[in-house]
Amino acid sequence: MARRSTTYGRGGPFVYLVALAVVAVTLGPVLYGALGGFRTNAQLARDPAGLPDPWVFGNYGNVLGNEAFWRYALNSTAIAVITTAVAVLAGVMAAYPLARYQFALREPLFLVFVLGLLFPAAVAIIPLFILVTRDLQLGNSWWGVALPQAAFALPVTVVILRPFLMALPKELEEAAMLDGASRIGIFWRIAIPLSMPALVTVGVLAFVTSWNAYLLPLLLLQGEMRTLPLGVADFSTQYSADTAGVLAFTTLAMIPALILFLAMQRRIVSGLQGAVKG
Amino acid sequence: MTHVTAAPAATDPGAAVTRGADAPRVTGRRRREKRRQRLEILLFVTPALALMAIFVVYPVYSAARMSFYRWKGFGPMVDFVGLDNYALVLSDDVFTDAVTHNFIIVFASILVQLPLGLALALLLNRRIRARGLLRTIIFVPYVLAEVIAGVVWFQLLQPRSGLLEQMLSSVGIPVPEQGFLGTPDLALTTVFVVLTWKYLGLAVLLFLAGLQGVPDELHEAAQLDGASWWQVQRRISVPLIAPTIRTWVFLSMIGSLQLFDMVWILTGGGPANATTTMATYLVSQGTQRSNYGIAGAASVVLFFIGFAMAVAYQFLVLRRDTKADA
Amino acid sequence: MRRSGRAALSVLCSSAVLLTATACGGDDTSASGGDDNTITWWHNSNNEPGRGYYEQVAEDFEADNPGVQVEIEAMAHEDMVDRLEAAFQSGDLPDVYMERGGGELADHVEAGLVRDLSEDASEEIDMLGGNVAGWQVDGQTYALPFSLGVVGFWYNTELFEQAGIQEPPATMEELYTVIDQLKAAGITPLSVGAGDKWPAAHYWYYTALRSCGQDVLEDAVTSLEFTDPCFTQAGEELQNLIETEPFNPGFLTTPAQEGATSASGLLATDQVAMELAGHWEPGVMQGLTEDGEGLGDRTGWFPFPEIAGGEGDPEAQLGGGDAWAVSQDAPDSAVDFVTYLLSDDVQVGFAENDMGLPTNPAATDAVSDPALAQLLEVRDAAPYIQLYFDTAFGASVGGAMNDAIALLFADQASPQDIVDDTQQAADLEK
Repeated sequence: MARRSTTYGRGGPFVYLVALAVVAVTLGPVLYGALGGFRTNAQLARDPAGLPDPWVFGNYGNVLGNEAFWRYALNSTAIAVITTAVAVLAGVMAAYPLARYQFALREPLFLVFVLGLLFPAAVAIIPLFILVTRDLQLGNSWWGVALPQAAFALPVTVVILRPFLMALPKELEEAAMLDGASRIGIFWRIAIPLSMPALVTVGVLAFVTSWNAYLLPLLLLQGEMRTLPLGVADFSTQYSADTAGVLAFTTLAMIPALILFLAMQRRIVSGLQGAVKG
Repeated sequence: MTHVTAAPAATDPGAAVTRGADAPRVTGRRRREKRRQRLEILLFVTPALALMAIFVVYPVYSAARMSFYRWKGFGPMVDFVGLDNYALVLSDDVFTDAVTHNFIIVFASILVQLPLGLALALLLNRRIRARGLLRTIIFVPYVLAEVIAGVVWFQLLQPRSGLLEQMLSSVGIPVPEQGFLGTPDLALTTVFVVLTWKYLGLAVLLFLAGLQGVPDELHEAAQLDGASWWQVQRRISVPLIAPTIRTWVFLSMIGSLQLFDMVWILTGGGPANATTTMATYLVSQGTQRSNYGIAGAASVVLFFIGFAMAVAYQFLVLRRDTKADA
Repeated sequence: MRRSGRAALSVLCSSAVLLTATACGGDDTSASGGDDNTITWWHNSNNEPGRGYYEQVAEDFEADNPGVQVEIEAMAHEDMVDRLEAAFQSGDLPDVYMERGGGELADHVEAGLVRDLSEDASEEIDMLGGNVAGWQVDGQTYALPFSLGVVGFWYNTELFEQAGIQEPPATMEELYTVIDQLKAAGITPLSVGAGDKWPAAHYWYYTALRSCGQDVLEDAVTSLEFTDPCFTQAGEELQNLIETEPFNPGFLTTPAQEGATSASGLLATDQVAMELAGHWEPGVMQGLTEDGEGLGDRTGWFPFPEIAGGEGDPEAQLGGGDAWAVSQDAPDSAVDFVTYLLSDDVQVGFAENDMGLPTNPAATDAVSDPALAQLLEVRDAAPYIQLYFDTAFGASVGGAMNDAIALLFADQASPQDIVDDTQQAADLEK
């Protein structure tokens, strides 16, 4: 690649200044939380800014040594994994014919999923609760939370996957067809592997959304079955004086989703490309 | 998965939909192929449609049914009141204020987050040092759970003792007597600032994805013609990612209309109903006051407002994008 | 456990309140035991010593009633409220559970979920006297209160001394003087968790209690008419208090009990001098200080002051509590169990273990905490105890009332608005 002129596309001092400000504003609250976990409550009240002095590791130690924290983490993980698996599999299956088949009701069917974006979970939360606990007998279980979450994740999954599948070259399919592969074989052996970047994108989005979900788990899960976000609330009630402990708990609870998302960040950007080009 | 596919086909609107596909024009082998194709389509879409039917459509239908009854949450629904609940909701100042707040957030998001997000995406698309790190950092708030972000911001925004007020007063900026969240005139703005902090990452993420699709050659050509960086962005990059921008506006609109978690955690809709949204209104009517009928009516109104805006937007703006696609 | 009198509605946890109605239910295990010899019992004393004490009580009962088995489920208060709400929806109730009384109970009675105890527990009902009023519907008694507290001002005796205050105020005029004295000494007089609304509403409940006669209030509960001018007067009295600007900064979004910056937290950490709260306050404050002491021996208590010219009885108190109820389908032995829970022995142990404020007069002397003992004295001297209005009128009317009162605190509603909004919600109930 040819060397560019010195200023074009590079940052002057102004750009770095802006970048620095953005970093400060973005990370400030997060750092406040993370560092707060290293303070005593007295420090927190006296001098909430600046570095902890001295650094206190007890808060994090307590959370990590807390059996409930690990139980909540296990529940969060299991529910997020089930949600992601169901949403991605059902989503890619639905998006495939919507992208690769020609049929009269293709667009109306796609519209069903777009309309799904318009239903906030809050609207239907009460009937949903009755349905899951009473009719399906899935209250207080991983599946009871994961299945509705997957259903609510489907619209966005389909909306992102469809354009990506549409963009796959037709030649591959035709070649496979000539070799006698069935459409279903093509779906498994060609469409799925080729759409991996988009699948990773929707998968991570579904996982992170489930990991962070609050309202539905709050209604459906109690006691031993609760997830980390509910544990945060639980923790801040049970140890309400212990703000530093709450901050330590919240910091630890956000780490897994953060790592997953950040590790996959590059892929997510490329996976979304198809979707946003629409 | 067995769970899902086992769902009765009768509840699956997709089944009826695909069966009705244009049959008359095809014959013989093509008809067999057509039938086979329909079967495949059915197989592919059934799990998703069944999930949606059971966990999205049915509960929403129940909420709509609830809106015609006076119901306290237990016992059978028997007290049919017709459209009374709708009349109550629409004449309730708290609800109309909530609608106003939702729309303020919708427009403020577009007016503030769009330029800000675009500027940041363009910035992060430049070849600056530590670009990868910067991108990573800007996504962090988006990945955080609302509860967690809410807990931290609630601490930061405490009147007097919170870090934010301490910092402002230390440089001599006056702080509101009742705190940022406690002053009715400031509360909605404060909530909006936190929302911007939380969701700007999504805008940047989408815009960056769009910008990566803009071929480098265009920039190089424009640069050879002597265009400055800003001119290139304004004339080439931004127009090229216009579909992305329109998609984001759509998502942001829907999100703003459904706004719940962050408001609930930060203010619960207060002070003095200054930050109620349609969603907080319906949740507090339903679960705190046991007025499930009123909550149901509010959710139906919320849905139709969202639906109307989505349709209008589709017609006015998005149509251009889908047309190009056909 | 102490705050069990009221659902804890913090900003954070008000989402937990969601549960109160939609609730969460482990429906998978059938709540009612089904056979006549097993009693299922849900309670919220899930910490020691309460938990162990109740296990002992159940064992004693089983020993006295051979063949009967008590199955206990002890859970956190919020969990219990949620699970109960789900149980009411599905109709699958435990045999013995807690009722808060008022409109909520009336709804459960109307739905045929609660057993009438008037006959089977007549002895205990006589013994409890006026305490059962909140748990009566149409003259019948449906639950037996085992803990009943009243709301009053908790204060920091040290801060009062600092401001040179000799005596806690007995009239509103004296309260205004106290507020001035505290302010002059640079102390914030009061904290109120108006973010949760009900703590703010308690002020209006009290001004209404002092402004309206008992007959007017009793009539309002049944007729749902708020036409008496005393209701507007109540708002005006409250307005006078709010105009003295006695509250902590940011009180409009302050939560009631969660965290050091909540209304209770501010009192517990010497940031304010007084807070209007119920008998649960010392327990809440203990949880809000690092040493687990709360205000410790600086804790003081005085009842809500007299309002000059009010028609209400100055000795009447606002309060509420918890009562044992028996579900409609429960075995008869469940009634025996509930009467046993109200017996002298069990109530004395209840008081000794600091689990609440006993309703059985025989247990009064077992309350050792001086502030609580004083509160108990005031409670027992009261001509009548008015159940919290939001509980008495039910969630719908009570919620509208609380919202309007919270608006008055924000100077966005008039005394008349409170009456109008309440009346509007009440008209829907008729």
